Amino acid sequence: MDASYIEKHIEQLKMDIYRHVQHKTLLKYTGNPLVNENQLFYMLLPFFNGENWDEEKYEGIITVGIVQASLSEHGLIDESEATSKTQQLTVLSGDYYSGRYYEILANSGNIPLIRQLSEGVVLRSEHEIRVYEPNNYTFDDWLQSLTIIESEFISRFYQQYNFEQYRAIMETNLLALRLQQELANYKEGNSSLFFLKMMDSFVPEDSLNFEKFMEDKVEKLIHQLLELLHTSLLKEELQLYIDKQLIRQS
Amino acid sequence: MEKMKLKLLYSDLKPDIEIIEKELEKALNSTSHLLYDASLHLLRAGGKRIRPLFVLMSAKFGNYNIEKMKYAAVPLELIHMGSLVHDDVIDHSDLRRGRPTVRSQWNNRVAMHTGNFIFGRAIQYVSHIDNPKAHQVLARTMVEICNGEVIQIEDKFRLNQNIKDYFRRIKRKTALLIESSCEVGAVVGEVDAINARHLKRFGYYVGMSYQIVDDVLDFVSTDKELGKPAGSDLLQGNITLPILLMKDHPKIIEFIERASKGEVTEKERMEMLNIVRKSDAIKEALSISDQYLAKAMKEVEALPNNPTKKKLKEIALFIGKRKF
Repeated sequence: MDASYIEKHIEQLKMDIYRHVQHKTLLKYTGNPLVNENQLFYMLLPFFNGENWDEEKYEGIITVGIVQASLSEHGLIDESEATSKTQQLTVLSGDYYSGRYYEILANSGNIPLIRQLSEGVVLRSEHEIRVYEPNNYTFDDWLQSLTIIESEFISRFYQQYNFEQYRAIMETNLLALRLQQELANYKEGNSSLFFLKMMDSFVPEDSLNFEKFMEDKVEKLIHQLLELLHTSLLKEELQLYIDKQLIRQS
Repeated sequence: MEKMKLKLLYSDLKPDIEIIEKELEKALNSTSHLLYDASLHLLRAGGKRIRPLFVLMSAKFGNYNIEKMKYAAVPLELIHMGSLVHDDVIDHSDLRRGRPTVRSQWNNRVAMHTGNFIFGRAIQYVSHIDNPKAHQVLARTMVEICNGEVIQIEDKFRLNQNIKDYFRRIKRKTALLIESSCEVGAVVGEVDAINARHLKRFGYYVGMSYQIVDDVLDFVSTDKELGKPAGSDLLQGNITLPILLMKDHPKIIEFIERASKGEVTEKERMEMLNIVRKSDAIKEALSISDQYLAKAMKEVEALPNNPTKKKLKEIALFIGKRKF
């Protein structure tokens, strides 16, 4: 198993997600669903590591990808003005994907995963809306919210199929990647509301500025991830792939 | 007043509807105060709760148990509520049932999260039911509602559409969810296949009639009764049955063209309302609604005799003749 083998499977999963939500009008106006390849890698990780794998689990990760895409689409809606045809159809594409994940699982009778993912939708919505709440959340609260946004659905899938041994690695890596992305956006002058809220919650220590603080945080997460990798039962090729593709190149 | 009449019609089910109402509030409970407030804001704005009502009434033809049926009735209302929150974003609506919409009180993103939260809760709730058929019906309905909305956006301000296009749209937009309410009620209540089919068809016909009446009310009611400006559908480009029945009227064509450019004045809106109200289109549309109601009645006739049978007829009639 090398990088190209892993990437081929990630690409296949992406295509299967697209295929399951194909809709002529939505495709024309809103394009393919938003999928994050790093998340796709972690959905497939148990399979790559040789766990017992079957069609039900593969269909399960397709629906995980679809439900993630549903909420990501809705993240594209403008706060005040969503009257363009593209924005209106973006609302509907998210709703359509949400109906499709449910429909796929309903047709195969996978009610336990329906419950897991719907609970995930509830939890993720509760954390995504935090940026609009007047509450004073701490920096760690914001990290918890970002962890849920990035990894809750995959965690639920792991929980459903007893793959929880992969959870810590997945959560740490996806959080590190998200923070790196947030930092890059900040440096380009495109800070997200989450980043601004985290900045507000930052209590300066020893004249450390927020940018440096965030860089240190990412470093700590990467260090933590490397430790988790070395003590894990992941195949060496997978450890190498994560190290090379998801840490070094990020 | 109208809502009182409806309540009187389902007085037999009053204790169970109260259970559903409490469950709805419970379902919207959240660790996020903002989500809870935004969801409750909509729940407390009222609504006729006809979808849970049809779930419960359908199950009365099988093995009725409110403790089981609530897991079917609550999600049907939640799906309806969630889609209203997102619809208001699509339509940029400021008012619903006379109250500010979630998007206007907070913003579009808050409305998106609120709608997703409500949809999530709906599916979480129904996942207590282990009959895959109920899930298949509900999931298919959610997908088809979206398809209907996509078609509605594509058909906006499109003058060359016909009545068939309109029926195709309202079937998905409204009739399917009422049809599903009856079907899910029948499935979860273990109604036999033949009667379940009658109930399903009944829901479909009532749903078609319901939407036609809704579209008529948008022209004939006052702004106050509607809780939003009369004629809003047409202002937003939704060409409904009364307009399709008089779409060759030169003033209407001109109005649609001006509305598509967002150039309609208040005086023009009032003028358009007068033209529609004085036309035969309202009467004709209501007559089509009556034809659907008659079909619904025929389906009820085929059901076995029980006290709910009479109530179903009365509620269907009420829906067809309602004034709000």
